[in-house]
Amino acid sequence: MNQLNRDQVVARLKQLPSLPSAVSELLASFSKEDVDISQIAHQIACDQGLTARVLRVANSSFYGLQSRVGTINEAVVVLGFRAVRSMVLAVGMSGAFRPEQCPGFDAPAYLRHCVAVGLAARAIAPLAGHNAELAFTAGILHDIGELVLASNFSPQYAAVLAYRKQHDCFLIEAERDVLGMDHAEVGGLLAETWRFPDSLHEAVADHHAPAGAPASSLADLIHLADAIAHALGLSRQPEEMLMPLDRTAWNRLGMDQAKLTRLLPQIEQSMEETCQALSG
Amino acid sequence: MKVVETLPLSEAVVGLRLAAAVLDEGGHVLVPAGVELSVGMLQGLQRREITEVAVEREVEEDPAAQAAYLAKLTTQLDHLFRKAGDSDETRALYQAVLDYRMEHRS
Repeated sequence: MNQLNRDQVVARLKQLPSLPSAVSELLASFSKEDVDISQIAHQIACDQGLTARVLRVANSSFYGLQSRVGTINEAVVVLGFRAVRSMVLAVGMSGAFRPEQCPGFDAPAYLRHCVAVGLAARAIAPLAGHNAELAFTAGILHDIGELVLASNFSPQYAAVLAYRKQHDCFLIEAERDVLGMDHAEVGGLLAETWRFPDSLHEAVADHHAPAGAPASSLADLIHLADAIAHALGLSRQPEEMLMPLDRTAWNRLGMDQAKLTRLLPQIEQSMEETCQALSG
Repeated sequence: MKVVETLPLSEAVVGLRLAAAVLDEGGHVLVPAGVELSVGMLQGLQRREITEVAVEREVEEDPAAQAAYLAKLTTQLDHLFRKAGDSDETRALYQAVLDYRMEHRS
């Protein structure tokens, strides 16, 4: 029996190891008016693994810096606090899970898809009046429910992946049929447990049903970015496919074919390098 | 039509546009994608012992090869869009990706 229920998932989420302190501080900073940036920068710098990966992203062509930044403080000065916060959240939260034990879970393909959605979201954000850095983080984290399931309910999620392959169906259909829950719902529960800001919470929980989310949320943007990433086939999984586009999201973003055509090169240009920077 | 080619650095010439960023061993960007190569950049890359670069080239194409590529691309896109429906939005995305792939072939 592979069915899960909400209480089981919530109980497991409460047992997760705590996030690196810098990541927790940064999550809390969304709701604080006075943020001690130098203290947070110091906390990030104390975590060598996190710092190394954040600096790799900061020095990638994604930001197009003329000279390299060598410390978190420099990154904050050159790129701004919000950009560094987004990078640390993207790097720090995805690294909190170990999905490798789930048979059939393709971790490199997962990373490639999330990076593609992050880059697409970042490209769309200015057209929709959203902050590009937050949109990138939302893209990187949008499927984090899959990581929760693959690393905490591995046998059940392996059954989902096998079902999906057998039926050539959407992943959320396989999850609902096998588990009775899907990764967006589970991601939403994680967002509550870890107290994500509303914008990230909505992006994670509502990206497959954006019409039900507020127009100002990131759900529309992540929904479209998800479709673009799949349309470009960037995860390189044989079973990859995109879901029907939500008309409400499309209209609220004011999207059209000409705008899409201009966005696409921006996504692929930074793809390989961003994957390299965020991996390992 | 633009194609992406990977050239030995010795064959890269001034004015070619980089299709991908040139990175050092640590993954740091030496020259970002989209930049036109200059004499100074080529010398700098030589000094850093970079052996090859990916560049974009404008080439004229045989119509038969173009038709074959279009057929292959359509098959790939039809697979990715196999359950995406037939709404105006989906068709716009399909066409945008098709145009982009035809314009930027690798």
